[in-house]
Amino acid sequence: MRFALDDQPVDFVDGDSVAVAVVRSGQHPQHGGALCLTGDCGNCSADVDGVPFTRTCLTPARPGLRVRRHPAVGGPPLQLDPPKNPVQSPVHAGVEVHRRHVDVAVIGAGDSGTAEAARLRAAGREVLVLDSGDGDDVVGVYPGPLVVVRTPEHMLHVHAHEVVIATGAAEVHPVCEGNMLRGIVLAGAADLLRSKGVDLGTTVTVDIAELSRFEGTDGRVTGVVFSDGRSEACDTAIVTSRTKAPRDLLARMVSDPNVRVVGPAAQRFDLPPAPVDGFVCPCSKITVGDLQMVWDKGFQHLELVKRAALCGTGTCQGGVCMPHLRSFVSDKQGVEAAPFTGRPASRQLTIAEAAADVFLDPFRRSALHDEHLKLGAQMDRFGGWWRPWNYGDAMREYWAVREGVSLGDVSTLGKMIVTGPDVVEALERLYPTTIADIRPGRSRYVLLLNERGHLIDDGMVCRESDDRFVLTFTSGGAAFAEAWVRDWIDTWGLDVRIMDRTISHGAINVTGPLAGALLQRVGVAEPPKFLQHRHATVAGIDCHIMRLSFTGEASFELHHPVAHSVELWQALMKAGRDMNITPHGLQALFALRLEKGHVIVGMDTELDSTPRRLNMDWAVKMDKPDFIGRTALARTADLPDRRRLFGFTMDGPAPTEGAPIYVGERIVGHVASTFTSPILGKAVMLGWQKHEPWADTVTIDGRPATVAHTPFYDPEGARARA
Amino acid sequence: MHAPERLDGLRVVATPDALDHAWFEGDVIVFRIAHDEVIAFGAVVAEVPDEHAIVERETAFVGWGLSYAEFDELIARHVEWPLPVERPALAQGLAAGLPVKLWFDHDGVLLVVSSGFAHEVVDRFRLPAFAETVTKQVTRQVRA
Repeated sequence: MRFALDDQPVDFVDGDSVAVAVVRSGQHPQHGGALCLTGDCGNCSADVDGVPFTRTCLTPARPGLRVRRHPAVGGPPLQLDPPKNPVQSPVHAGVEVHRRHVDVAVIGAGDSGTAEAARLRAAGREVLVLDSGDGDDVVGVYPGPLVVVRTPEHMLHVHAHEVVIATGAAEVHPVCEGNMLRGIVLAGAADLLRSKGVDLGTTVTVDIAELSRFEGTDGRVTGVVFSDGRSEACDTAIVTSRTKAPRDLLARMVSDPNVRVVGPAAQRFDLPPAPVDGFVCPCSKITVGDLQMVWDKGFQHLELVKRAALCGTGTCQGGVCMPHLRSFVSDKQGVEAAPFTGRPASRQLTIAEAAADVFLDPFRRSALHDEHLKLGAQMDRFGGWWRPWNYGDAMREYWAVREGVSLGDVSTLGKMIVTGPDVVEALERLYPTTIADIRPGRSRYVLLLNERGHLIDDGMVCRESDDRFVLTFTSGGAAFAEAWVRDWIDTWGLDVRIMDRTISHGAINVTGPLAGALLQRVGVAEPPKFLQHRHATVAGIDCHIMRLSFTGEASFELHHPVAHSVELWQALMKAGRDMNITPHGLQALFALRLEKGHVIVGMDTELDSTPRRLNMDWAVKMDKPDFIGRTALARTADLPDRRRLFGFTMDGPAPTEGAPIYVGERIVGHVASTFTSPILGKAVMLGWQKHEPWADTVTIDGRPATVAHTPFYDPEGARARA
Repeated sequence: MHAPERLDGLRVVATPDALDHAWFEGDVIVFRIAHDEVIAFGAVVAEVPDEHAIVERETAFVGWGLSYAEFDELIARHVEWPLPVERPALAQGLAAGLPVKLWFDHDGVLLVVSSGFAHEVVDRFRLPAFAETVTKQVTRQVRA
């Protein structure tokens, strides 16, 4: 039976690992370095069937395997196939994840693991034993505890009440001149090779404590020089050591009271003599000289030496170098250095293994998604939803709103019903606006502030009765706002019922000068007046109609059970056909609202935008006894504040959003939103000035721009109220 | 395996004690999704002893009926949390990154998600999608 090593055939016998077969053929799986053949070092790792850094000592030899040695210098080439669709979730990765929930997971089936498993089973515990010899390669232990295992078939996630790490202890590798020659094996590897019938030729056995250096020619060991000066010729050098290194990498990954270490893995062993020459870290080819260099540069702590020299960051994650690195640092410091922190993964994983069962955050589709596609919408992701960006012609959509009638899918808005004896008190505390004086059937625009007085969301408060309100929030802020409202009301201990309706209610915005006329056609004889709302049947569907305006024109949001969104949308489109009704996407909406100077939270605002900075003090009633953020606003009211959001206009096309704003040569802020307004014949912008004195004339995109009052369009709001 | 069905019912928010004593007309299955909130699929009328209770029609969910064999093959390996062993039982959490509700009864499993994620369920679990022709309301009466 044969497999291919660098495209040359290698014979093997039943039971051989790839590494054993390679050594039997007189070769080395890499280009040199001592072999342990227990998976502790990386000196036998190679590319196996296209997977680099595979430990060939743990890989059973099979006919047809294709093994390639890594380059002697540098790593194996990356093999990256670009994703066919980079925005698509990697939902069909080639590697599956299987999961098990167990009482106890014991890692390691050696003496200590077997004994511990037996003891636990005798105590009535359910035990799962994981051992690399059985193909269960534990690559990480996480808080939980969670054990991540690579098996030949799939990844396995083991959720255990308790994890016992019983991984034993490893032989110590030699670090001295010549330690990267071929023909050096540890004692355990020598035993294994002999048991497999591999001819090691003339051997010399040397203990690490008595080892001075290896001699060799053409990259292969020819002799051993002992510390007492004598030397012996050999074909194979066998290295023993009286001390060992605990295999505690997994234990060093996690701090969890339900993870414990037993047996030699938990044992303290003497360190080997401090290394004076040779490769300390064969994986990253780090020499003792490299360690000395970073030490001399001031990296005088084991964790710093590791990071500066990259010693311990390679294939074996410290399996070889840890005792020598600790000995090096301990010798310098005069005290025993602790091992460095371990981090998953302990073994090299393929991207597919690492990404198995990992999914991108999902984006919701509104119930009208297919309707948008039928109308040619370009969909994009905003605020956790797929939304129409445009329907092919944003300017046509813009003019439909300004001069005719248009539909917008605002199903994504956050929506919430609140009731209860304390509901007014709760809303008074949540919002900086007065709530108690909102009459049933009326609504009010509100800001949502955090404790520092910074704007975190905005929306509408619609009062339905004395103790029932409907709240709306921004699409992207809805989930956070819901948690915010629930947390605060719970904290205050107020008697309020809260029902989130964001996914349950669709919402269609009917907007434009002909919006009222369209609603009359579908059964709403008297559409509500500006900032009023009421329940009505629209095209046979129960709707909650909210009259407001984000576009600057008359706007009616029709909130309805989401199951009827398509029916309602189609009825409205049909009724408005002779009005040349045209749906609008976000691209047009952003432009329309900008002409009105309406801010979009998160687009025009910053994380620490206060109402004052946004010129929205009018939405804050400081004469209220209390609301979230009031203390901060009161404290900072008289402090100087250089930041302010301004409206700007300029001739010519609008600059790019984010463009810097100059006063002379100095950048004083940036543009948050821009639009070349066809109805105003100039570019309109919202932008920040962050240096005083605030200028009336600035330079943007190399052109003069002037501070202007907002709204830019219909400042009296006559069209929205029409 | 069945194509998904829209699950209509009532959503109720009330005091926990009121929900403990709520009554729903019809052949319903009640998901107690929070201490103060239930979704009663199949319900058209509810009596809840809380004068401030919010009772609203709920049409935002879709469900796939799965046999246990189908559930084990397609869904279970994406669920990180322990599944309930009692029957019937409701479990809710993330599966394959999606917020799902799982109703385990003696005959099989009902996988419930908000309709906005139905396309992701189809993609991530390889479940059947809605037929193009399904546009009318389909009310599923589920036995508790």
